Amino acid sequence: MTRDEPFARFVVWTLTLLGFVAIYAPPLYLLGVSFNPSLQPGLPSPSEATLHWYAALAGERALLAALWHSLVIATGTAVAATLLSLLAALAYVELHARRATWFLVVVLPMFVPGVIQGLALSTILTRTGIKASALTVMAGHLLWAMPFAFIVILTSFAAVRRSFLMAAADLGASRWQQFRDVTLPLITPGLVSAFIFSFLLSINEFTRAFYLAGRQNTLPVVLFGKMNAGASPTIYAMSGAIFLVSVLCVGAIAVRALLRRPQR
Amino acid sequence: MKASPSTIFGLVFLPLAAILVLGLAPLAVVVVWSFWAWDPSTYWIKPDFSLAGYAAILEAGRWTVILSTLVKALLAALICLVIAYPTAYAVTFLASRRLAVVLLALMTIPFFTSYLIRSFSWRLVLGRTGVVNTFLQDVGLTSAPIDWLLFSDFAVMVGLVASYLPFATFPLVLAMGRVDSIVLSAARDLGAGFWTVLRTILLPLTLSGVFAGFLFVFVMVAGSSTEVQMLGGAGASIVSVMINDVMRVANYPLAFAISTIVLAVILGLVLIGNWTFGLARLFEDRAQ
Repeated sequence: MTRDEPFARFVVWTLTLLGFVAIYAPPLYLLGVSFNPSLQPGLPSPSEATLHWYAALAGERALLAALWHSLVIATGTAVAATLLSLLAALAYVELHARRATWFLVVVLPMFVPGVIQGLALSTILTRTGIKASALTVMAGHLLWAMPFAFIVILTSFAAVRRSFLMAAADLGASRWQQFRDVTLPLITPGLVSAFIFSFLLSINEFTRAFYLAGRQNTLPVVLFGKMNAGASPTIYAMSGAIFLVSVLCVGAIAVRALLRRPQR
Repeated sequence: MKASPSTIFGLVFLPLAAILVLGLAPLAVVVVWSFWAWDPSTYWIKPDFSLAGYAAILEAGRWTVILSTLVKALLAALICLVIAYPTAYAVTFLASRRLAVVLLALMTIPFFTSYLIRSFSWRLVLGRTGVVNTFLQDVGLTSAPIDWLLFSDFAVMVGLVASYLPFATFPLVLAMGRVDSIVLSAARDLGAGFWTVLRTILLPLTLSGVFAGFLFVFVMVAGSSTEVQMLGGAGASIVSVMINDVMRVANYPLAFAISTIVLAVILGLVLIGNWTFGLARLFEDRAQ
């Protein structure tokens, strides 16, 4: 397919590049600005780049408390989302005729607007007298993370050939043994990815947490307030750091998974 | 070797319970509550069959927000397709295997980064002292900063496209991956140029991916709020932001009525999309 006209190739690559620039240039610029010692936003020259604002984060009590709260919520969300998605994926494999319906049921919550899900859940919780806490935020984040975790785990099931399970069964393995000794080791990378993805989705989630967080807000909710109250360089530093960590985690997983995929 | 119904039940039970209790039940209750009436004595709503919430949507120009949300969603989805289609083509047919891996990874990352931070970062780019304005003044194209770049509908559209572009790219990559490149080569050998191949072969074969990409972006934008909150001008709104505003004055019936309409539109679209091209099919070649 290398015989496309030069003009067509130019158009294709230009639009492709435009898309990636739109996605990555602004947050990377923000990351660059966070190394600028000056209060005026702008890229620092390499000689004056500093970690000053990152060191200043240590004094930002409110941000750190929110970060810790978000880490707790993200861990809980990731554990629950990975386990439930594993069950959902196992069900998908077993449900032959109805699997398309099951897929839709699990994935549909992804399309429910965050504001509406957050509002609905928080109103119900308030009316039933359940106090907003880390658990209520997790409840909201679980359904946001599950569709992604489910799809990732489902993709990893491609490594589990039917013939492996049949061979194990012929050798007398029970269903549980087949799962434990054959399926589970093969899908472990998928489970790890699902865990990390769910963790990141939760820690970066804003609109649901906005409604569901109790007295202690999550990091994005606190960041949102500070961004609108006149951004400071420490906000750039915190945002930049969170963005960078997210990118590195997903990038590592994605490259590893894609390289392992058999060549077409 | 089929699993027994009890095994399947055991597997389905927990995830389904989570979806029903945390997802479906609260949304169903909101739909029911949208018909209840406001009760000033309890500062809450009471059982009724009232359309007051829905009638209030027609007041104070709220329906124009719904309309402008649909326009934003439509426009963002179309722009995303224009960028995502070539991207999917480049990844599938032009890039070397190594580059394709890198590009696919770059497409996966945005799903898991913060929409808030990504929207916010556009302020540094589009602001009065931002990159774009500084550049335009440095090269002498303008003498003063352009104001409509930030806190405007333009900024919101840029933010929306940047946020939800991967939702269009992914289904297109999956759809193009299933196109047999021999078919394309055959057309070339018979003398068809790039644009002819695109129009007569590739587009028809990837139509399901185009529909899916359009639908995903449309639905995500229809439910979005962060981009408008971060980049919109004074008074800029979108349905989700309007719900926030209405909730600030505790107007529950109205908030629930708007939510019901949005849910109906979004879930309706997803179900129609699923019925025409099958969401699960997008992932099938990988899952099995």
